[in-house]
Amino acid sequence: MSNVIEEANWKFHWRLTESAGIMIYLADFKGRRVLWEGSLPYVTIDHQRQELTPDQDAGEPHGPWWVPLGTRTIAGPVRVQSFRGGIELSANFVAGPYHYMQLWRFHDDGRLCPWLTILGPGVHDQHTYHPHFRFDFDLDGAGDDAIERYEEGRWQRVEHEGWFPYSGEADDHGNVWRQIDFGSRASINIRPHSWDDAEVFAIRYHDGEWAPFTPRSAAGAQPFPAGYVGDEELDGHDVSLWYVAHVHFDQSFPYTAGPWIRVEGLG
Amino acid sequence: MASKTAAKAVKRPKAKAKAKPAGPKKRAPVDVVKAEPALFDPLTPGEVADALRTLTEDRRLASMAKVGRYRVITTEPLVVKPPHLLSGHRLARVVAYDYSSDRAVDACVDLDAGVVVHLELDRSQPMLSIAEEALAVSVAMIDERVRAKLAMGDSPQSTLHYWGRTPNDLSYMRRSAAVVFGRNDGHASVVAVVDLLDQTVTQVVPAELW
Repeated sequence: MSNVIEEANWKFHWRLTESAGIMIYLADFKGRRVLWEGSLPYVTIDHQRQELTPDQDAGEPHGPWWVPLGTRTIAGPVRVQSFRGGIELSANFVAGPYHYMQLWRFHDDGRLCPWLTILGPGVHDQHTYHPHFRFDFDLDGAGDDAIERYEEGRWQRVEHEGWFPYSGEADDHGNVWRQIDFGSRASINIRPHSWDDAEVFAIRYHDGEWAPFTPRSAAGAQPFPAGYVGDEELDGHDVSLWYVAHVHFDQSFPYTAGPWIRVEGLG
Repeated sequence: MASKTAAKAVKRPKAKAKAKPAGPKKRAPVDVVKAEPALFDPLTPGEVADALRTLTEDRRLASMAKVGRYRVITTEPLVVKPPHLLSGHRLARVVAYDYSSDRAVDACVDLDAGVVVHLELDRSQPMLSIAEEALAVSVAMIDERVRAKLAMGDSPQSTLHYWGRTPNDLSYMRRSAAVVFGRNDGHASVVAVVDLLDQTVTQVVPAELW
């Protein structure tokens, strides 16, 4: 199977990684570059107590854990399927009691859906998934881009690196964050799933902050990607965006986490 | 669905408001459009071997290579964007864990030039290697406390990279794995935490109490 797909106004490459699921790279929409690289670096899982007695500490007794989604855990092949108005890639991953399906959906109107369906069941019911998606967008080239977030009723520039949670505010289309190319006026709009409790980290590129990624920094230090955040300027620099969802397991699973991404203004 | 994480402890930066934001500072154009897709291709077995030879011959890692108590976690292709000096080069990212000094080794090897172009030695914890996963299972399987808690039909279902939340937990500081035992139908029964440095089981917890 070729790893280059040209369909539904998109041209992109893909490969299965060791730890970050299906990676999409060099993706163009209507002949213009949109994405350098996008992947699912990790899904961490926290557990909470099933029962709490008065003498117990209410804090979580154990730390998080994770297992790479990739060549070691894939169950079956990567599927490439056309659907009405687009094309999608999907793959299942199994790691003991944790079952996932990763999706990349490309719509001919410029929508892009990097999703993760979480099936559970986990070691017990009281646990929370934290899928971390990473996007290195190069909208019509890597330069002349800026990041904005919707806050206080309007789009506002994000001038420095940071952590930008979804506060409940969004524009008329539900978008909360966007990357704008000032040359073409094109934009990449990111709309969170309303139940994702999502947040975005905007981080400037640095040598060494490369795939494969790990969530665990040194003991006592911030986990990644928070550990990458400093106070550097973003305007005009190469920036990566991390979209992190927080999904508590419940009986209505499976649940599909991840943003809707829409490219506008190209072509 | 909402849940807090440690990541949320990050200080929230102020997004400065501007009525009509001006364009960003102009920089030289970056030509990412002409990137070579083949640079993303998986490394060949020869390229992996080349990367590891180059890394272990680097003088900065002489003690690690001499003692030989390290595990290679992964060796993957790395593609750096223009205008970076390394863009267009065939690069390998090598991640290893050096047990002799309890530190992570994170390197970028330029396969075109045959040199290590980036090296970080730190206390971060990369994912487990396949060998570490297998070691954790074998350590857990022979532990009497684990065996005493296993039911008929239980077997290792998954091995996860684990770290403790507080300094009271040994795995807060030390490289550890959690082996989940259970049945093949997905039911989990026991979790065993394995200290990979000392190769001992440090916790045995019924799955429902994890």
